[in-house]
Amino acid sequence: MKRRAFMLSVGGAAAGMVLLPRMAFAEAGKIDWYTSSDQNILDFWTNVVKPKFEAANPGVTLNLVDAGDAAGQTAIGERALAAMQTKTDPQADYFESADWRLPAGAADAGLYVNIKEAGLSNYSRINPLAFDGDYSVPYRGSQVLLAYDTTKLDPANAPKTFADLVTWIKANPGQFIYNRPDKGGSGGNFVRRAILEANGKDLGKFKIDNYTQEAGDAALNPAWEILKDLSGSLFDNGAYTSGNTQSIQLLGQSAITMIPAWSDQAIQAINTGVLPETTGLVQLQDLALPGGFSRSVILSNGVNKDAALKLADFILTEEVQSAVLSELGGFPGVAWDYVSQDLREKYADVIPTTIPTFPGGDWEKAINDGWYRNVAPNVDRAA
Amino acid sequence: MSLTPASDIVGKKPGRGLTGLLLVAIPVLLVCWMVIWPIISAIGRTLWLPNDGGTGRSFSVETYKFFFSDQYSLNNLYVTLWTTGVCAVLLVLICLPIALYLRFAKGRLAAYVQGLAIFPMFVPSIILSYAIIRVLGPNGTVDLLLNSVGLPHIRSPYLTPWGPVIGLVWDNIPLTVLILISGLGAVSNQSIEAARDVGAGRFAVLWHIILPRISNSILVAVSFTVLGIFSSFTLPYVLGPAAPEMMGPFMQRTFRDLNDPTNAITQAVIAFAFCIVFGLFYVRSVAKNRAR
Repeated sequence: MKRRAFMLSVGGAAAGMVLLPRMAFAEAGKIDWYTSSDQNILDFWTNVVKPKFEAANPGVTLNLVDAGDAAGQTAIGERALAAMQTKTDPQADYFESADWRLPAGAADAGLYVNIKEAGLSNYSRINPLAFDGDYSVPYRGSQVLLAYDTTKLDPANAPKTFADLVTWIKANPGQFIYNRPDKGGSGGNFVRRAILEANGKDLGKFKIDNYTQEAGDAALNPAWEILKDLSGSLFDNGAYTSGNTQSIQLLGQSAITMIPAWSDQAIQAINTGVLPETTGLVQLQDLALPGGFSRSVILSNGVNKDAALKLADFILTEEVQSAVLSELGGFPGVAWDYVSQDLREKYADVIPTTIPTFPGGDWEKAINDGWYRNVAPNVDRAA
Repeated sequence: MSLTPASDIVGKKPGRGLTGLLLVAIPVLLVCWMVIWPIISAIGRTLWLPNDGGTGRSFSVETYKFFFSDQYSLNNLYVTLWTTGVCAVLLVLICLPIALYLRFAKGRLAAYVQGLAIFPMFVPSIILSYAIIRVLGPNGTVDLLLNSVGLPHIRSPYLTPWGPVIGLVWDNIPLTVLILISGLGAVSNQSIEAARDVGAGRFAVLWHIILPRISNSILVAVSFTVLGIFSSFTLPYVLGPAAPEMMGPFMQRTFRDLNDPTNAITQAVIAFAFCIVFGLFYVRSVAKNRAR
């Protein structure tokens, strides 16, 4: 073969190799941080937590990565679990908000640091209501409430109970929309509130490990009836947005009057002008729309485990916890005694009296699939 | 292979064959590794299901039976085929006139039209989705313009099956136009002038001279866009209705939200089967071209 031809083919092969994915390694002093939350949380970390933490800890930087959604972050968790078995680098140190039960068996295998025994100096500040086992750090809370347009609905007439809400939706067809329950928590928790309504508002009925096919059918089918009954009165005869943000966009475009929304997203949207000043927020008084705390976990095999623990301690300081209230519109993970008095008064409307929480696991799967099969299709959109 | 100079001068050059094979080896290996092997493994995993006891696997077509007996899954398949078909027809109807214009027009206006037609190629589909909500959504720009001249509200295509159709058609215009223009390059000016000389009208020229020459390009353009549209994700996810969903969002939801990889892979295999039919059209037309 001619030399030129040989050079060409070898060159081509080498060029091809360059295009193949390259190996990446975690860096010491750079915390690989993942989130499955919405953009507002990532913005909060980028603009508030990261600069404060890096200023307080010279030599340590934060690498903020958006894992997309819960399933995307679980996939990173699975990779870390596999890396643990092969004793290799997981390229992950910190999950902003995670369920320590996922991926299955991870906690038993020792993937997550036991926070209770890790000796965080601010651990005792955490709100006792917020704990969920010993493997996670609850640091912020949020709850779904109703956001509405006060120019179309007088705050005095805003619904205060679920029954009022149903009456209002039916009396004002086309003015309410919620998102698909698996695509965002605002619609998801509205659906869960309907499930609680269909089950005598009994939170004790739903536990992470008590799902069976029969119990599921008995509990969920009446809720599907409530939601199917509502669908004809929703926006465009039964349309459902594909996420929290799209619902807020429709309210912002004044296409509808009311949506369920996360308290933090709604407050931030009002502050940034995405929603107008005339947006009202209201919580149901008979039983609030569900919400919950976001809990961070730390990977025990991460290269920067010690720095990650420092970060976990840092987010429980009064500085960051006050920012959770003032910048994020969420509520703090620490007990209210550790937040300044003026902030407590200013944000009185998001301080929850009750936060119903709903278990995930098999219930979540049953709710998501059941909703798509029972509620979403059974609408004659042309009518 | 010989290293004597004679072999490079006389007759066939074996070195060139080897070079060709080496150059093509990387793409072929990548296709085998990242496309062919996953397909084979997917078919295997959906036909040999784990036994109830958890030991071993045995042959079963249960997941396919479930898909084809489940009205919800079938509705999703129908809406995917409907969207794909409607988009393909609309694309040919919209892009053929643009391509004909660009083939025969000269001057600055034609350059602007070409720029506009190629523009969607550079807009990511997620940005396109939110832009469509702003423009065609409820109380969007179109609504505001219509209202300002006293016309009534239109029913927005957002969150209906027409939402993804509008987005996908817009997104696929550049590819279709480019393929059609390259096909029109094969139509010589002389043949058209000859037809005009014997008195053919515009329509006769199109029907008897141009279309027969570019039928192959139309087939290639349609099979390319159909393959992309059938498996599209972002536009139907953001713009489409909650149900029925297109196969892309449906597979993703089954896999990630319902944690049900077996059924998700079954849906994927069924999607391959449909795409293979369109792929074969493309391969056949390429082969026919080569044979000429």
